[in-house]
Amino acid sequence: MSVPEFLTWLEASPLGVLTRSLGVWSYGIINLVHILGVVMLFGAILLLDLRLLGAWRRIPLATLSGPTTMLARIGFLVAVCSGLPMLAVAATEYADNPFLLIKFPAIALALVNVWLVHRSQAWRAHPVRALMPSEERRLKVGAALSLGFWLTAITAGRMIGYW
Amino acid sequence: MTHGLRVALAASALLFAGPAFAHHGWSGQDEKVSALTGTVVQGVSLAGPHASMKIKVGNEVWDITLAPPARTARSGLAEGLIPVGDTVTVRGNRTTESGRHEMKTIYVRHGAKEYHVYPDRE
Repeated sequence: MSVPEFLTWLEASPLGVLTRSLGVWSYGIINLVHILGVVMLFGAILLLDLRLLGAWRRIPLATLSGPTTMLARIGFLVAVCSGLPMLAVAATEYADNPFLLIKFPAIALALVNVWLVHRSQAWRAHPVRALMPSEERRLKVGAALSLGFWLTAITAGRMIGYW
Repeated sequence: MTHGLRVALAASALLFAGPAFAHHGWSGQDEKVSALTGTVVQGVSLAGPHASMKIKVGNEVWDITLAPPARTARSGLAEGLIPVGDTVTVRGNRTTESGRHEMKTIYVRHGAKEYHVYPDRE
């Protein structure tokens, strides 16, 4: 299925039909939920990534990693659950929108980065012992990539409506 | 200033770069307000981000972009009010993009009824 085919299918899907029928405030409210999801996701990620990059060294990494990772997961779920209906309302309108084609690959790269960081030795070791310099460097690279990918995704997402 | 605080300030500067952009929708449009008269091929939809309809002018189908749904509804427009096949006249700003037939619409006239979607732009 090509991207335009997928967008045509999504717009005609029950999700698209339902979202279009929910009244004049529905898009604004779904948009609000999407922003709250992104705020939770990126706020938590920003805190963790800046810590990994060297800020707030007094706060133990293991103290911060649990709550931020959990908030980011919830925020991501909220953003996906609100983003799909927003796209489904008029999906075909975005078929030639270049920002859409930047946003979704950026999210995919961000998720691959999360997966790679979480399976790294450094991440697995951080709750149980002090990290070696090489492990700290590994997490710094992951944090820098994370900020780059998520900021790209958020910027492209915001720009979709301005194209 | 600590190193951490500097990193945080730099990051927040990036974040606040976004809202400096003006609200979207009119920047890619012709400054001149023009009129189109055509036949409705797809009636008014109040599904966001903007309400819309499609009209046929000659052989071209135009995307008539209205205001956000709640604002469009306040002008008196509702879904199903203007039947497909009826003639309407719209005024607004055409897109400057060549090959695209789209108008950001200020006003819709249907018979004797007038809908002022953006009265302050008239």
